[in-house]
Amino acid sequence: MRTDDIENTRTNRNITMDDLTPPRTYETPPTARPIDEAEAAREAGLAHNEHIKIASGFLRGTLADGLLKHATGAISEDDGQLVKFHGMYQQDDRDLRPERTKKKLDKAYSFMIRLRIAGGVVTPKQWLVLDDIATTYANGTLRATTRQTFQYHGVIKSNLKRTMAAIDGALLDTIAACGDVNRNVMAATNPAQSGAHKAAYELGKEISDSLLPKTNAWREIWLDGEKVVGGEPEFEPVYGKTYLPRKFKIVIAVPPSNEVDVFAHDLGFIAILDKKNRVTGWNVTVGGGMGMTHGEPDTFPRTADVMLFCKPDEAVRVAEAVMTVQRDWGNRKNRKNARLKYTIERYGLAAFRAEVEKRVGTKLADPKPFAFTGNGDRYGWTEGDDGRHHLTLYVPSGRIKDVEGDGPKLLTGLRRIAEIHEGDFRLTGNQNVIIANVPAEKRAEIEALVDEYGMQKGAGALRRNSIACVALPTCGLALAESERYLPDLMTELEESLASHGLQDDEITIRMTGCPNGCARPFIAEIGFVGRGPERYHLYLGAAFDGSRLGKLYAEDVTASEIRTILDPLFGAYAQGKAPGERFGDFLIRAGYVARTFNGPDFHTNIGALKGVA
Amino acid sequence: MTPFCKTDIPLTRGPAARHGLPMARQAILPRTAPFDDSERASLDAVLGAATPIQRAWLAGFLAGLDAAGGQPAALPAAPPKAVEPLTIIYASESGNCEALAGSVAKLAKKGGFKPKVVDFADLDIATLAGAKNLIAIAATWGEGEPPARATRAYNELMGDGAPRLDGVTFGVLALGDTSYVEFCAIGKALDARFEALGGKRGAERADLDLDFDKPAADWIKNTLKALAPAPSADNVVAVDFAGRAAAEDDDDEPSREPVVVEVVDHINLNSSLSDKETIHLALEFEDGAPAYEPGDSLEIYPENDPALVEDILKATNLTGDEALRKALLSERDITTLSATTVERFAKATSHAEAQKLIDSGEVRAWIEGRHLIDLIETFPATLSAEHLNTITRPLPPRAYSIASSRKEVGDEVHLAIVAVRYDTHGRSRSGVASVHVADRIRNGAKLRVKLKPNRHFRLPQDPATDIIMVGPGTGVAPFRAFVQERRAIEAPGRSWLFFGGRHFLHDFLYQLEWQEALEDGSLTKIDVAFSRDQPEKIYVQDRIRHHARELVEWLDGGASFYVCGDANRMAKDVRNAVVGAYQEAKALSPADAEAAVAALERAHRYQQDVY
Repeated sequence: MRTDDIENTRTNRNITMDDLTPPRTYETPPTARPIDEAEAAREAGLAHNEHIKIASGFLRGTLADGLLKHATGAISEDDGQLVKFHGMYQQDDRDLRPERTKKKLDKAYSFMIRLRIAGGVVTPKQWLVLDDIATTYANGTLRATTRQTFQYHGVIKSNLKRTMAAIDGALLDTIAACGDVNRNVMAATNPAQSGAHKAAYELGKEISDSLLPKTNAWREIWLDGEKVVGGEPEFEPVYGKTYLPRKFKIVIAVPPSNEVDVFAHDLGFIAILDKKNRVTGWNVTVGGGMGMTHGEPDTFPRTADVMLFCKPDEAVRVAEAVMTVQRDWGNRKNRKNARLKYTIERYGLAAFRAEVEKRVGTKLADPKPFAFTGNGDRYGWTEGDDGRHHLTLYVPSGRIKDVEGDGPKLLTGLRRIAEIHEGDFRLTGNQNVIIANVPAEKRAEIEALVDEYGMQKGAGALRRNSIACVALPTCGLALAESERYLPDLMTELEESLASHGLQDDEITIRMTGCPNGCARPFIAEIGFVGRGPERYHLYLGAAFDGSRLGKLYAEDVTASEIRTILDPLFGAYAQGKAPGERFGDFLIRAGYVARTFNGPDFHTNIGALKGVA
Repeated sequence: MTPFCKTDIPLTRGPAARHGLPMARQAILPRTAPFDDSERASLDAVLGAATPIQRAWLAGFLAGLDAAGGQPAALPAAPPKAVEPLTIIYASESGNCEALAGSVAKLAKKGGFKPKVVDFADLDIATLAGAKNLIAIAATWGEGEPPARATRAYNELMGDGAPRLDGVTFGVLALGDTSYVEFCAIGKALDARFEALGGKRGAERADLDLDFDKPAADWIKNTLKALAPAPSADNVVAVDFAGRAAAEDDDDEPSREPVVVEVVDHINLNSSLSDKETIHLALEFEDGAPAYEPGDSLEIYPENDPALVEDILKATNLTGDEALRKALLSERDITTLSATTVERFAKATSHAEAQKLIDSGEVRAWIEGRHLIDLIETFPATLSAEHLNTITRPLPPRAYSIASSRKEVGDEVHLAIVAVRYDTHGRSRSGVASVHVADRIRNGAKLRVKLKPNRHFRLPQDPATDIIMVGPGTGVAPFRAFVQERRAIEAPGRSWLFFGGRHFLHDFLYQLEWQEALEDGSLTKIDVAFSRDQPEKIYVQDRIRHHARELVEWLDGGASFYVCGDANRMAKDVRNAVVGAYQEAKALSPADAEAAVAALERAHRYQQDVY
C-alpha cells in the first residue's frame, strides 16, 4: 500500500460536515422503551408495521392459515410484512404481469427466500443441499447476494414448507434474513490473513447467534414444530414484541480490504491488527445505510461514522448495545426515517456513543487508525498465511446458474467441486464465491473443474468491480432493470474505457433497480439507480474504498445516453489523473462533480459542475 | 286406379326388397271380400308384404278411423294397447346410446311393443331373466372398457352371478370409434355373453362408428321387425291419432341441427410459460342460446388442418381437385387410421405391401400412433377422390362440456378446450377440433355447433344440497357452469372443488374466477393438485385421500359427488380414492367401502362426465 493511498483514505474520513457548517443541534433522546401495546401504539400514531408486529404474536400473524388458501399463491398483506422476518419476500413475475388478468390468472406469485449464513461460510455438504433446493423448488439458480448469503427466487407458496425443511436439513435457516431485525452478519473473507479472518468470522457468528430472534414461530410455521401452548408465554429478551424500528445490518471488516463495505451498514467492526495480523480490537462504526426514496430529500444514503474502539471481549456487548439503543431511539412513526443513520442524525453521535457506553457499562476508547485500499475482491488463487489455498471465482451478478450453450456452467461446476472439496465455500459481499481452504495437493483437481465448466477466475477490470441487484423480473421494488442489463452496459463501457487506454483501471460500478440500494450504488464510483424503464440516475464521485458517497451527476439518463455521458469523463480521467488517483477522486479534484461529505449533503450541489470537452 | 295402387311404391322399399327376395304376391283377402279384383290385388300386395306389426297397426287404424267417423285428426287419443314386452338396456357415456335407446322405445311403442328403458347404471341384472325381448345398446370407452356408469352392471353380467337368459330373444347394437383398437369391444362381449347365457339372437349385432345415425336407424327398424311377435287375433294396435307421441318427440329432442355461432372470446388460459394451451371460448348464439343446463355438452364441427389436407392431396397427386380439397377440409375424417381403413385402402388400391401388412396380422400394431397420411405415404398408390371417400369416414363433431350457465352468460356458451399436440413416428400430430379452435379460430370467427344434453350430469334438484366437484384440467369446465348456476340461484348448499394441472403458476384455469367465487361464497372450498411443482407427482385423488374424513362427512350429509375429465386414469383413481376415503373415515372393509360408493352411484349422487 502506498502512503498517498492511506493519506487519501484518511483525508476522506477526516473532513466532516461539521468542519464546514455551524455546529448542529440535536434532539433529546427518548427515555422510554418502545410502545408494544396496541391501543397506545394507535394513540402514538406509530407506523402500520408496528401494529402488525404487536398483533403478530411474535411473528406468527395468520401465516399458517395463509398457507392453506390454495386458490392464491399470495399471502395476506400484513403477513407479507411478517414473512420478511422469516427470510422471505412475496414477489411476482413482473414479466408475466401484463398477460395474467386477461388469462383469468392471478399474478404469478412466488417467494424470494434468503438464508442466514453468518460470514457467508458454507460447507461442501451444505452446498450440495442448497444446490438441490435451487433446482427442485426454486428457479434453478442460486443467487449470491451482496450480503454474503444465498437467496432463492421463484419458490411458490405450496413449496415453502418443503423448502424450509430442506434448508433446515442442511442445518441452515432463514430466520431474520429480512425484516426489522439484525440480518445476516457479514464478515471479511480476505483469505490472505487467515488469523484475522477467523477472528472476524467468529465475531460475526457470535453476534449473529446472540442477536437472533428467539420466537419459535419459524419452526412452528415452516417445520410443523411444536406449538408453544400454555405455560411460559413466549418473549423476546432483546427485541421485545415490536423488534426493531427497521432493518439492521452488521458487518465485520479486516483492513486493508473493505470488501464488506463497512460504511454502508448500520453497525460495523473494523479489525485493528498488530504487526502479526492479530486482532487487537475493533473500531466500531455506526449509522451507515444506503436506502432512500426518490423525490424525498429527507431520505438519503449515509456512510457510517467511526465511533469508538473496543477490545475483542467487548465487541458482542457493544453490538447488542448499539442495536438496543436503536431499538429504543429509532423512529417508529415513519419507516422512511427509522434506520440508525437517521437516529444518529437526530440525536448526534456523541449522545449515541454515551448511551452505548452506558449500556456496555464502561467508557470505551476512541477509534484507532486504519486504512482501506478498496472494496473489491481478490480474484484467482491466493495462499493464506496458514498455507491453505483459496480460489475466488468471478460470479457475474452473483447468479450461480448454468448458461445455455457455451456459457459458463457455474451451477454444475460448483456442485462438482462441492462433491470433492474438503475445505469450505465463502460468499463475498461482491457476490462472488471463494473455494476456501484447499490443501495444496487438491488445487489441480479443482482447477481442472473450473476450466471444464467454464468458470472464471476473474474478468475485465470494470466487471471485477461491479455489482448489480436482482431487480426485474422478481423484485417488487424495481423501477428499472439491473442484473439483466448491467452486463450489456459494461460491454459498452469497456469499449469506451479501452479507447482511452483505461481497460485495466479498477473502477467500481454498481447498479440497482430502485433507490433502496441493495447493490450499494451510492458508494460506487459509477453508480446507477433505477428511475423507470431504461432510466437511471447516474451518481459519480464516490471513493474507490467505499468510504465516500457519490453525487447525483445526471438525472434520468436513458440507457442509450450512458456511454455518451461517461466517455468524455473517461477521456478527461485518462488525460488528467495523478499517479494512482482513483476515478471518483479525480472527478472531484478536477471539478466535474461536488464532493459529498455525508448523507445530509447528499442532495445538495448536484449535477455536472462543468462541461467536458 | 285406386289410391292403394299408388302405395305400391313403399313395397319396393320394404325389407323383402332390401334383401333381394321376390316380392310376396299371394292372395290374402278372400274373394268374398267387398272389393273388386284390382282393389283386392292391391290390398293383397300391401298385406302380403306387411309385417305382423304393420298388419296389427292397420287393424287399429281402421278401427279408429271408423270410430272417428272418418275424421281421424279430431279424435281423442285411444289408449295405446301394448302387447309385446321389450326391455331396452343401454350403457352410455356421452349420451349417444341413451338417445338411441329412446329412439328404440319410441319406434317400438308405435310397433306394438311395451318398451322399458333401463340404464345399465340402474340395472338389476336378475330382471333380465324375465325379459322376453332384450335390446342392448352399448358404447365402448377408452381402451375397450364399458362406460363408467355401466361398469357395475356390466361386471355383474360378465360374472358368475349372471342369470340364465333362456327364452330371451336379444339384439345388440354396439357403438364405438374405429380410431381405438378395441372397437365396439363391449357390444361384442355383451352379444357373446347373452348367447352364452342361453339367449336367442333375434338380430345380428351392428358395430357402428362415430357416424352411426343412419346405420343405427336402420338397425333399429330391422331389429324391431325381427323381434315382433307373430300376429294373433287380439293383436291390434291402438293408433294414436292425436299424435301425442310425435309431440313428445319434440319435447325430448332439443334442436339436433347444427347452428352457426360467433366466437366472441378466444383466450389461452395457460400462461405463456406453460406447455399447455387451453382455449376459453365464448360463443354467441344470434337467435338465442339453446336451452342448455349445466352439465350439458356442445358439439363442435371442426375443420381439418389445411396443411394436412395439402399433404394428403400431394401424396395422392390430387392437388388439382378443388371439390376434394373442400371435402377433405370439412367433411372427411382424414386423421383416424383404423384396421378397417387399411383394409379398405388395400382393397381400393390393390396395394400388395398394404395387403401383406394385413395378412401378417400386424395391422393393429402398425396403426398405433399412425394416421391416414402415414398409410398413404408408406404405401404410395394411385388414389382417386372416390377412393379417399371410401376409405375415410365422415368427420365427426367433437363434444365439449359447457363451462357456463345461461343464468350468468345469457345467450353465450363458454367452452374450455385444451389443444392436443404430440409427436408420433416423426410427425407432429394435433387434435382435429382442439387445434382447429386453438390455431385457426379467432374472435369473430364462426363455428358450427350442436347442443348435446347430458341428463346424467346434473346439479342436485335441491339447491341446499352440498356438491363436491373433481375436475382437473379442462375437467373443470362443467364446474364453472355449476358454480355460476348456483351463484345465480343463490343456492344455499356448500360446494367443494378439486382442481389439478401441471403447474400452479401456469395452468390454474380460471384462477381469478375461483378466487371471486370463494369470496362471494358460491364456492366454499378449493383444493388443488399440481403434479409438476414438486418432485413427486400430486394429483386430485391424493388431495381427496388427504381430506378423507371431511369428504365422507360431506357425503354422509347428502353431498353429490361429480367427476369430470380423463376417463382412462383420473376418473378411476378418483373413484378408488373415494372408496379409500370411506375405508379410512369409517373403518370399513374394502368391500363395504366399495358398496358405499356403489350406493352413491345408484342414488345418482356420484356422477361422471369423463372422456
